[in-house]
Amino acid sequence: MIARALRGLGLGGITGNPVAIAVVLVLMALLLAVPATHNDYLTLVFRQILMYAAMAYGWNLIGGYTGYVSFGNVTFFGLGAYCSGVLSTHGVDNLFADIALAVVVNAAFAVLMGIPVLRLRGPYFGIATLGIGVAVAEIVANFDALGGSSGLAVHQVDEAHFSIYYYAMWLVALVSILGTFVIARSKLGYAFVAIRENEDAAAALGISATRYKITAWALGAMMAGAAGAIFAPANGFIDPSITFATDSNVFPIVMTILGGIGTVAGPFIGALLLAGVNELLQRYFVNAHTLFFGSMIVLVVLLLPRGLVWLFGLRGGVRGWLRSVAAYRA
Amino acid sequence: MELWAQDLVNGILAGGILALVAVGFSLVWGIMNIINLAHGAFVMLGAYVTYELFTALHLDPFLSLPISFIALFVLGYAIQRWLINWVVRAPILTTFLLTFGLSLLIVNIAQIIWTGDRRGVETWYAGANFSLGAVTVPWVKLLTLIAALAITGILQLWLTRSKTGRAIRATSMDIGAAQLAGVRVSQIYAIVFGLGAGLAGVAGTLIALSSSISPTMGDPFLISAFAVCVLGGLGSVQGALIGGLTYGIIQQTVAARLEVTIGTQQISGSGLEDAIAFIVLLLVLIVRPTGILGRATA
Repeated sequence: MIARALRGLGLGGITGNPVAIAVVLVLMALLLAVPATHNDYLTLVFRQILMYAAMAYGWNLIGGYTGYVSFGNVTFFGLGAYCSGVLSTHGVDNLFADIALAVVVNAAFAVLMGIPVLRLRGPYFGIATLGIGVAVAEIVANFDALGGSSGLAVHQVDEAHFSIYYYAMWLVALVSILGTFVIARSKLGYAFVAIRENEDAAAALGISATRYKITAWALGAMMAGAAGAIFAPANGFIDPSITFATDSNVFPIVMTILGGIGTVAGPFIGALLLAGVNELLQRYFVNAHTLFFGSMIVLVVLLLPRGLVWLFGLRGGVRGWLRSVAAYRA
Repeated sequence: MELWAQDLVNGILAGGILALVAVGFSLVWGIMNIINLAHGAFVMLGAYVTYELFTALHLDPFLSLPISFIALFVLGYAIQRWLINWVVRAPILTTFLLTFGLSLLIVNIAQIIWTGDRRGVETWYAGANFSLGAVTVPWVKLLTLIAALAITGILQLWLTRSKTGRAIRATSMDIGAAQLAGVRVSQIYAIVFGLGAGLAGVAGTLIALSSSISPTMGDPFLISAFAVCVLGGLGSVQGALIGGLTYGIIQQTVAARLEVTIGTQQISGSGLEDAIAFIVLLLVLIVRPTGILGRATA
């Protein structure tokens, strides 16, 4: 029934529009060729895009599918980065170990935090997650074993093998996309959407809301944590202001909403567009790049209130679009 | 003992201004279900209005309070009327994103006009303070607190007594019923958003009195406004006041004397003000999931 309701909105079922997903997979295949064919600068830009994409997918599971808006997902990214940092200071220098540790630590942290915090609803959940983020960042900044506010150097591979970080990030992004697809189509995905649409009704149907909410939150934490675990050695240096940056907190949310919230294709499309445009603007309009960035967000929200993916499923041409835009007026 | 008293006074003085920042944010959130991420930018604009009036016309910051309220009210009204009202019925994240974009725009324009330099409003009474026993109270901060209390008091009176105020509260209770009773919802929304922006502007003016200003000064105030209005419960004036004072006092008293030992390392509370305030907030939320003065349903 949920699937039919979503299709009725032109959203193409629980995974979103299938054409959009196909486009995303083709783009991902093309991105695999970037390090071999482009210079270091572009490889870095695309690695950042893939990183933001993984974080956006992490946020999409809890914020998009389950409808619990988290303002603290950067915490998972930061914890992932610090897992790599700690391993590196203890002489362990293996990307797989980094990712494995980050995924385990983040899942455990998310479950632990989720038990009290996911009892809260709506904005109260949002503010609690924001609080976790601020608290973890400040504690790390005051903790000498983690380098405090001056940060940690993280061991890197030599320059000839540097593209390993790109491929690792690509893989994490791909797993996040495919994972979201599989999760959305499984019993989990339908439980998430049921909770989003009406938590009390879902509970009455026998869906254990708390358990599913914690699952969504922890799965998303793993995605962001894995991205952080690769970011740390790729960047070579981490400190609280880099790993817990406000941008890394807000960007994935904005990207998901821009691309299409609660869809499989949306976060990637949003990440590609937003991180790409941001980079271009920063390069060519240093003084006013935020101005363009801000105006673009305002225009997209006003003209495409359901995100870009929704354009793929748009029916009725310009009139259908106008009707949809007008639907949210006061 | 004197230290405790001094911290308590500092907390109350800081809390008054936090409450004033939060009250506009809370009204907009509680009545329209809009999380206004541009609220910090409005605070910043209020501070610059005061700065310009002070440097160009030597107008005392306290006299520029109404001007900064009116300027920001007009801006907020226009933004709601011609931008946000287009998507106000969309899910909360849509307006969240829209105000995020607006905030980027406003801060960037401010950076182009005033550059990123820190500036200050230096009044002749800026450094003056008086002693109350062992407690030192800066005059500016005391006057700021009084102004903040007076403004929230007037606001509460206006919301409960005036016709427009009643229409605003009716709209927040039941949009459909309010419309049936002849309330023009789009108009009310624009007034509420203008009011929120105007209150942010007034707070900005008061903040400029005691600290330096820059285009990005609004961010920390946005985050504390978040916390304060959740602590007090959404959409309520008294809630914001109680939340602000609680937040200020916790920050000043707990952070100043906390020492945690983890392993061999001592961590002092002085770098952890925000973390401590947020941990307290978390604990409050776990016990009372809708804030201290919150309603039964979120």
